[in-house]
Amino acid sequence: MDRNAILNELKKVLNPYTENKEMLNGINEKTDLIKDLKINSANLVDIIIDAESQYHIEIDFESAEKMYNVGNLIEVIIDKMKRPK
Amino acid sequence: MKSTGNDIVALRSINKQRTGQFRFYSKILSTSEQALYHQPQFAEMPFENYVWLLWSVKESAYKYLKRIIPNLVFSPAKIVIQDIKIPPQLLINEPGVIQWENTGHDEELYTGKVIYSSHIFYFQSKISKDWIATVVNDDKIFDNVCWGVQSIAEEGYYHQSKAVRTFLLKKLNSFFPGDLHVDKTPVGYPVILKGIQNMHIPVSLAHHGHFVAYSFILNPAHKKNIRIRHQSALQSQSYFCNSRSG
Repeated sequence: MDRNAILNELKKVLNPYTENKEMLNGINEKTDLIKDLKINSANLVDIIIDAESQYHIEIDFESAEKMYNVGNLIEVIIDKMKRPK
Repeated sequence: MKSTGNDIVALRSINKQRTGQFRFYSKILSTSEQALYHQPQFAEMPFENYVWLLWSVKESAYKYLKRIIPNLVFSPAKIVIQDIKIPPQLLINEPGVIQWENTGHDEELYTGKVIYSSHIFYFQSKISKDWIATVVNDDKIFDNVCWGVQSIAEEGYYHQSKAVRTFLLKKLNSFFPGDLHVDKTPVGYPVILKGIQNMHIPVSLAHHGHFVAYSFILNPAHKKNIRIRHQSALQSQSYFCNSRSG
């Protein structure tokens, strides 16, 4: 799965947590979840859990801390998908 | 450098069931913090409240630190909570609180210590029926810290953002008259401006669901000026947020 396909799927993962649908539609790898999409930080763990379910991966504590923007989120997902659970 | 950090968690906006799942709370609480919950003092506290209490402390500490370490990334695991003390007067079945501001009467507050790398902070938290609010400080004494919580009619980012600024500025205006407004630095923390002049008042803002919250610091120079201005006023005795410091 390439980065672009993951980016498009992430729109569905992020959708319940942002009101800014126009911005969500146009996200790129630099989009910041809190500053740009105005996602409440209390939902960050929800997003990690939803991404885990979507891609059948486990995201550990250390990886989770990098996931504040879309590019890093894609990076972590690709990295975890390469490894067997 | 003096800073402040706060957080609010709206308990009706969290997913209780999900909070209780290991894969959720293990991304917030370290093993030692999970073990702390089994102390007898927490016997009456629902686990989801414990998780979100600790979250609010970690988030508050992060916001405090962001002013000092601008490139810091929020990492709940690295901010470790120690020594949580429950309030001496635990309020059971307290009705919904729609507005609350600190007065220096700490008997209703959870307190404790929180560590990030070489930084040590202290926290005060209040747990109400509908919300958990926290403020952190670099000193055990919170005499210079003002903080408050208010319920708002509508959820949604833009409404919350406007409401929290109005709430904060109303409180600040009682100390600093004039046309104050809130701006954000590129790093993302708020600053208070009077016209184009930076007031150098450390502030922190938080919102979640139907609740907004602020914290700010009154430094000794601010207090001196306020005292001079209100020297003859009857209310000067309890003029600061914390009545003990009036």
